[in-house]
Amino acid sequence: MDKKIKSGKDVIDEFFSEILNVKGTDESTVNKLIELYGENKLTDSNIQNALEELKQEAIRPKKIKEDGED
Amino acid sequence: MAKIKSIKINGLRGVREPLNLDLNKKSVLIYGDNGTGKSSLTDSFEWFFYDKIGHLSNEEIGRRKGRDALRNIFIPDTEDGFIELAFDNNKLDSKKSIDNSLRTSSSNESDDFNNFIASTNSERLILRYRDLVQFIIAGKTEKLTELQNIIGFSDVQNIRNLLKKSGARIAKSIKTSNFDNLKNVQQSTILENLEQKAYTDEQLFDGANKLIEPLKLGIEIKSRQDINTVLKKIESKEDSELLNQINFYTKVKESIAQIEGNIESIHNGYSIFYDSFDTLKKDPDKVKNLQLLSLLQEGKTVLTKDVVEDDYCPLCQQEKSKVDLLLELNLRIEELELLNKEKVKVENNSKDLQGVIKPNINAINGLLTEKLFEKEDYSKLKETIEEIKSSLNTYVDETKKELSENLSNKETIKFDKKAIADLSGGLVKKIKELTENKEANLKFKTYTKLFHSAKAYVEYLKIEKEQNVLTNQQITFELLYEDFIKRQEEALNVFLTMFSNDINDYYTTMNPNEKVEDIKLVPLKKDEELIGITIEYSFFNETRTPPIAYLSESHINCLGLSFFLASVKAFNKESEFFVLDDVISSFDRAHRYRFAQLLANKFSDYQVILLTHEKDFFELVSSEVKSKGWILKNFKWSKEEGTGIERGIADIKDRIKKKIEDKNTDGLGNDIRVYTERVMKRVAFELEAKVAYRNNDINEKRMASELLDSVQSKLKASNELKTKADIPKIKGMPMFIGNTTSHDNDFQESIEDLEAIWEDVKDLIQNFYCSDCDKFLSLKFYDNVEQKIRCGCGKLKYDWKK
Repeated sequence: MDKKIKSGKDVIDEFFSEILNVKGTDESTVNKLIELYGENKLTDSNIQNALEELKQEAIRPKKIKEDGED
Repeated sequence: MAKIKSIKINGLRGVREPLNLDLNKKSVLIYGDNGTGKSSLTDSFEWFFYDKIGHLSNEEIGRRKGRDALRNIFIPDTEDGFIELAFDNNKLDSKKSIDNSLRTSSSNESDDFNNFIASTNSERLILRYRDLVQFIIAGKTEKLTELQNIIGFSDVQNIRNLLKKSGARIAKSIKTSNFDNLKNVQQSTILENLEQKAYTDEQLFDGANKLIEPLKLGIEIKSRQDINTVLKKIESKEDSELLNQINFYTKVKESIAQIEGNIESIHNGYSIFYDSFDTLKKDPDKVKNLQLLSLLQEGKTVLTKDVVEDDYCPLCQQEKSKVDLLLELNLRIEELELLNKEKVKVENNSKDLQGVIKPNINAINGLLTEKLFEKEDYSKLKETIEEIKSSLNTYVDETKKELSENLSNKETIKFDKKAIADLSGGLVKKIKELTENKEANLKFKTYTKLFHSAKAYVEYLKIEKEQNVLTNQQITFELLYEDFIKRQEEALNVFLTMFSNDINDYYTTMNPNEKVEDIKLVPLKKDEELIGITIEYSFFNETRTPPIAYLSESHINCLGLSFFLASVKAFNKESEFFVLDDVISSFDRAHRYRFAQLLANKFSDYQVILLTHEKDFFELVSSEVKSKGWILKNFKWSKEEGTGIERGIADIKDRIKKKIEDKNTDGLGNDIRVYTERVMKRVAFELEAKVAYRNNDINEKRMASELLDSVQSKLKASNELKTKADIPKIKGMPMFIGNTTSHDNDFQESIEDLEAIWEDVKDLIQNFYCSDCDKFLSLKFYDNVEQKIRCGCGKLKYDWKK
């Protein structure tokens, strides 16, 4: 065999180590996934919560006084 | 990689007295008739490594992973049942015990041992006959799941599912939010007030500056802060009531506009739900059959877990091959699971529709809490809005209907779009009227328009940001999913190719020249999704699939065995041993022999624990595997000891010697009897001495007296041997008199008597056995010229008249 046989863990580890190279993705979302995987917390509910957090962070007015959003 | 030095079992399953197997890292072939407790060894082994006994873990015969049925019920409460394994690496040696209250413990808590056990969990250590064909006859999806479990790809599949699910959930959220509609509602408000749309700050400031120009405030709006400054400057507290009214109508208008923009989505959602519901409803029998799914799945569990062991259907009690029954069940289950998918699709369409409707109902509920609705002046408007809510709830009610009910027609349930558009138009007009009411007060008019357009613009930006974030997240998950499945499929294909080669090799070794070749595990895809795995092979150069349609039960079993052995090679990284429990039952003689050769030759690096209840197989392959260094053992079962190992002649001889040395008479007479029986059986065989015919295994149970008689009778051919052997002397000894039952009784001889008897037995035997060539006198070695019977080397020889 030319190609190496990979275990399931090999496949997953490789994916997460190269995930930032996938073109066209949102960096903050990808970083969040890497963080959850690293902490062994990559579950459906944790992903949902993390994405909601990212969304709230993005739509929250940042500089109220400067841009007058209130 | 670890090999086993010894196995000790006591008080587990059928083992009541200590069962010791000294293997010294060697493979072993164990024969035991049905009921002698071979499975006690396999079950204890499974418990040691996997902490469960799969086939005992069901409601009928034992919960708690089979522990209820693990401990032998006859051992004293004070004793623990245990299995103790010693390995070539003694850091892994451990004794696993279960006490009277079914609490379990392990003597080895070291990291080395725990890591070893954790690793072996994903290894293939045991194959029983009942599990042999599971993979081969399983459905395509089950095959994929099973294989992914074995190769540790279930985690890969979980991540894949997570990525897909997350992407789909975000897409759904984008769809139900209908962001474009929400943005349009805000732009309409901006347009109504500024007479132009504002997608950027510049466009907003441009419109705002044009709006405030008549007031000649001397301020140019260049930021949103400037808008606040202007609003504060022209604000008038006197007009607050009118402003409240305008705010109220603006809010109602925006909510109604939002619903108006969602009508099309609601209609489409209902149409999709209606069609899927209607399709499923058209075949009520099919739907009724769905109720059988759990029954069939339970039936499959009953068969695979061997709750029913023989070839008959446990429901109708008709005779039927278990493999055929499982095949039929798999097919029916697959059919119903497909139907169940349709049902799930209807349920999902229902949920999607509810998801589209829910934000609209929430918006109305929010409106109805407005204080102005408490006033009589607004009662008509309130009534109209409540009607819209009621229409929305009608859709929701439809989604909750059972398949036995009829859905409302797509046309009759439709929203009155015109009525909503009229309401929306009326509200715009009302807001305009209220604003224009104070025509003279330019400040108020400007304030109202600037306030609402600025507020709508901020809301617009917020919606757009949310839309962008969700869209980016959705794209991200789609791209990651795409990348991940490529990796998964590539890795799976590499594995399947390697794995298929091994399966093919083992199968064709066991079935040479049968024109079945090129066996492959092939992934199946539907809509770019990996949905299963099938087995393909070439038969007379034509590709066939699936195997069950063309192969006999014996060949399917062969394929199952090849699959297991290929798994051992692929996945066993820590343990260099495995157990095969009665796996050759359906094989014919030629296959059995080739199977033994396959193990002895291609798995010579492994330690194989091969159990069989087939005497023929045991005898057929004994010499083959023994020549490769395997150990041979016999299992027996007795009421007193449960499962035990039938002792070899050498073992018994050693025990007799030890007892004589220790002056221990306990059971010594019995041991001498058993030893004599074993040896005389062999002598009778070699001399072709005749005994009375008996059926099957009873034929094996020959008493010493009977054997001695038959040999004595045969010795008519050799006066010399007859005289030297002096069989009548031996036959007169107390342990050789009587029947089998009395044989088992204790002898009351003194140690001196027993020593003398033992010497006589040895003298007798040395007339028939040559220690130089390790062979008995045999008619096989008959010398026709000299007319003598002799041993293998000729050192022992006697006149013999044929």
